[in-house]
Amino acid sequence: MTAPRVLVIVPAHDEEESLPRTLAEVRAAAPAVDVLVVDDGSADGTSRVAREAGVQVVRHTVNLGVGGALQTGFCWACDHGYDIGVQLDADGQHDPRWLAALLAPVAEGRCNVSIGSRYVSRTGYRAPLGRRLGMLLFSGLVRLALGQRITDTTSGFRAYDRAVMDVCRRDFPKDFPDAPLLIGLARRGFRLLEVPVEMRERVAGRSFYTLGKQLYYPYKNLLASLMALIQRQS
Amino acid sequence: MYFLSKTQVIVAVGAVLLALYVLDLVRRRRLSEEYSFLWVVATVGVAVLGFSTPLLVGLTRMLGVVMEVSTVFAIGIAFSLVVLLYLSVRLSRLGAEKDALVRDLALLRHEFESERRAMAERGAR
Repeated sequence: MTAPRVLVIVPAHDEEESLPRTLAEVRAAAPAVDVLVVDDGSADGTSRVAREAGVQVVRHTVNLGVGGALQTGFCWACDHGYDIGVQLDADGQHDPRWLAALLAPVAEGRCNVSIGSRYVSRTGYRAPLGRRLGMLLFSGLVRLALGQRITDTTSGFRAYDRAVMDVCRRDFPKDFPDAPLLIGLARRGFRLLEVPVEMRERVAGRSFYTLGKQLYYPYKNLLASLMALIQRQS
Repeated sequence: MYFLSKTQVIVAVGAVLLALYVLDLVRRRRLSEEYSFLWVVATVGVAVLGFSTPLLVGLTRMLGVVMEVSTVFAIGIAFSLVVLLYLSVRLSRLGAEKDALVRDLALLRHEFESERRAMAERGAR
């Protein structure tokens, strides 16, 4: 069996500061994988620093959100014949040293999607209380829906195989691809697996979670999750 | 033709004027035929009720509304809600279409630039 072609997809919105370091870490940890930065309508030099780092860059004219950027990455990966796509945050939260652990179950065909989880085993990360409650809620919802325990539904450190990317390029939940995505994928019969990883604090840049979104996001995610349960999956 | 109140006259005339304005917007291509439909239906409906007092009285009795004018306003409000919902649906679709366009543009631009770079390299050799 030849080694699968792996593309690391880095959605980036105004991540000029943290991106070079993240890209250098990816290169150091996994020299063989290709990297695509999806510049999601940044106002700063995100595209420039990515090009300087020698990776592929696709740039959105306007901001579409993490989900939109990721979907663009899936399109690109499918068009260029990649077998596995890895979602990795530009802000340095996801340590590329865990790439191999994340990739292994997908490459071996043990699952279609692997999720880098902060909670599977004891790792350094401790989330704020509000976030923990939200995670508990969505984790419970996913469990109810799938009969499978996914502790870290909001983890944005995931690997997807080709079949999943093919589906996601056509149909993908907008904005935050969390619990609704996992429910939708599981309902299509894809297997999910959690892999313990360590996560770090953000290196620089602003989190996608602003105050307005902190109120709106749980509502939308809850609704989208419930809809994913009853919607017909194409 | 008789009117129950001054309000009825104002509403009826207002509805006719609005209908004319909507049609004029279509004529000047400022409003698409698709969006004009709901407006024309609503304004014509209100105008008919406004000018035909027996019809208005009958409908008011049937709905159990106390004042005839309230019937007209109720129809107006119901119409506004339908339009708002319809516009929200259209906006959602437009948003999805915008996303798809931005994505396709980004992918095409990337392909175009890669192709151009490759050509330049071939030319340099």
